[in-house]
Amino acid sequence: MRPHPIGLSTFVLASPFSDADTRYFEYVKEIGFDVVEVCVEDPDLLSAETLIEAASAAGLQISVCGAFGANRDVSHEDPTKRAEGRRYLERCIDLAASVGSPHVAGPMYSATGKTRLLSKEQREFQRLWAVESLRQVADYAAERHVRLAIEPLNRFETDLVNTIEQAVDLCDRIGRNNVGLLVDTFHMNIEEKNIGEALIAAGPRVFHVQVSENDRGTPGSGHVPWDDVFDALDRIGYTGSIVIESFLPTVAEIARAVSLWRPVAASMDALARQGYAFLRAQETGGILR
Amino acid sequence: MVEQSNLSSVRNVWSVLQMSKLWRVVIRMLKYAYNTLVYGDEPIGLGIERVARFGYDAIELVGEPTRFDVPELLRQLEARNLPVSSLVSIYTPERDLISSDEAVRRAAVDYVRDNIDFATAVGAGVVTLTPQACMKILAEAPLAEEWAWAIEGAREIAEYAGEHGVRVAVEPWNRYECYIMNRIEQSVALVDEVGLPSMGCMADTFHMAIEEEDIAAAIRQAGSRLVHVHLADSNRAAPGRGHTDFRPIVQALRDVDFDGYASFELLPAAGDVFGVLRGGKAPEFLDQYTEEAITYMKGVEADLELAKTSSADSSSTVTER
Repeated sequence: MRPHPIGLSTFVLASPFSDADTRYFEYVKEIGFDVVEVCVEDPDLLSAETLIEAASAAGLQISVCGAFGANRDVSHEDPTKRAEGRRYLERCIDLAASVGSPHVAGPMYSATGKTRLLSKEQREFQRLWAVESLRQVADYAAERHVRLAIEPLNRFETDLVNTIEQAVDLCDRIGRNNVGLLVDTFHMNIEEKNIGEALIAAGPRVFHVQVSENDRGTPGSGHVPWDDVFDALDRIGYTGSIVIESFLPTVAEIARAVSLWRPVAASMDALARQGYAFLRAQETGGILR
Repeated sequence: MVEQSNLSSVRNVWSVLQMSKLWRVVIRMLKYAYNTLVYGDEPIGLGIERVARFGYDAIELVGEPTRFDVPELLRQLEARNLPVSSLVSIYTPERDLISSDEAVRRAAVDYVRDNIDFATAVGAGVVTLTPQACMKILAEAPLAEEWAWAIEGAREIAEYAGEHGVRVAVEPWNRYECYIMNRIEQSVALVDEVGLPSMGCMADTFHMAIEEEDIAAAIRQAGSRLVHVHLADSNRAAPGRGHTDFRPIVQALRDVDFDGYASFELLPAAGDVFGVLRGGKAPEFLDQYTEEAITYMKGVEADLELAKTSSADSSSTVTER
């Protein structure tokens, strides 16, 4: 693959991530990463000033990713709930604009964990509310030169957008050119018929990439078809960053949210170091492929 | 392993063997079943007819003994000359082997015993077991205590199964459906701790595509403990509709001398699978996937045979044990 900035999600470091946890930034840089992806679990725990200071001291770029609990649901049937969801996204956008993140990324169309069986009509309403909300948020983001990267999640984590095709359709309906996709190899492994072809179909809509193995472990240790992934990213001319996302099984709330019941790597340190080495190694391998 | 054929036209031999029905003796092929869970609420007679029509060796039934009229079921199975491979047990909050409520644990054991009786009545050799309610992801007690309950219940079930000549297949589910057992290595641990020959391991390729680093290696790890297999592609649709590579999986099943049934458990892409099934909203899983699944897997097996025969080096059949 072409060289990409390689990043690490703060979910691997501390949760909920706070200003105090920026002490890990030097460590992230020492491993070799170019980007730290700050997940905004609680916006009150984060200040742009502290993040900027720590990131520039370490020499890291910042990527901003959202976390979408029950009170951050832009497609909820209750309009006040939808407004609350949009307000959270606006705070993420403000933060992204301040810290220089090109995007706010994540499954921002619904509250994560809703896996309901709805009638066609109910589902269409949910989709319309998502479109309406995200169009407003996209306009807010455009004024601040921030893009929205929408992430499909697998069937067990959401009922609204599971595949890349569905995410592209949602983008089309939103109809704003600062709205695209965050693709994640863990979810694609479950939902896509052919991961490479799905990425190629999304093409320039791919704004951001998260990677982990099929079991959320270290990239390269399982059966995600990495050659297909990197070849497809090359073919669509993707130039953004590639961020390793896994989760600390020791944090009960996170373990529950993503259903992680066992360690998927010897340690989070091993996952970060070995994952980084694997991704860097792909850059030279790509020339030969 | 299979002897190398020195005949020139492998494809011709292949078709002759398939027609002659002797092929399974010469080349040990998998026996296929289709799980009727995905057929939802339709009358079982339709499912039996369909599974027989597409050339399956057996049918897998849902382990709900009270929902079947057994004499009528037997009559329909005999009319189609279709054996029952296995029963898939359904584990609900009322049937949970690791519930903190002793009465619920008792109900789970009694339920599986009823399924073993049902299996005996219909001639099924395998009943599946996962030691917790499906979709429960929060523990109610310390894990060590829950594991002890799992062993206690599983042992009682295995003893009862042994008395009835039925084998119990312990099936790990993916992280979203359960927390006590996500990987084959965890089912191996349970099976070994119970330590009875009537209990073995089960592999389901959908769950494994999420949880295992190497599906074939996990099958080899289960080894001779493996008593039952569920096949589905990475997206739980018919093999060929996702990206799982079934060739190393079939090779691993051969390497461990698996002689049970490979049953297709295909399910809709939804968190609420049962809701979709109740609504009858999975029409592609009827004729279309029932035909596609077995056709695809027989193609995989044929490819493996061809690859083996075309590589003149007979050492290629030497397997890792």
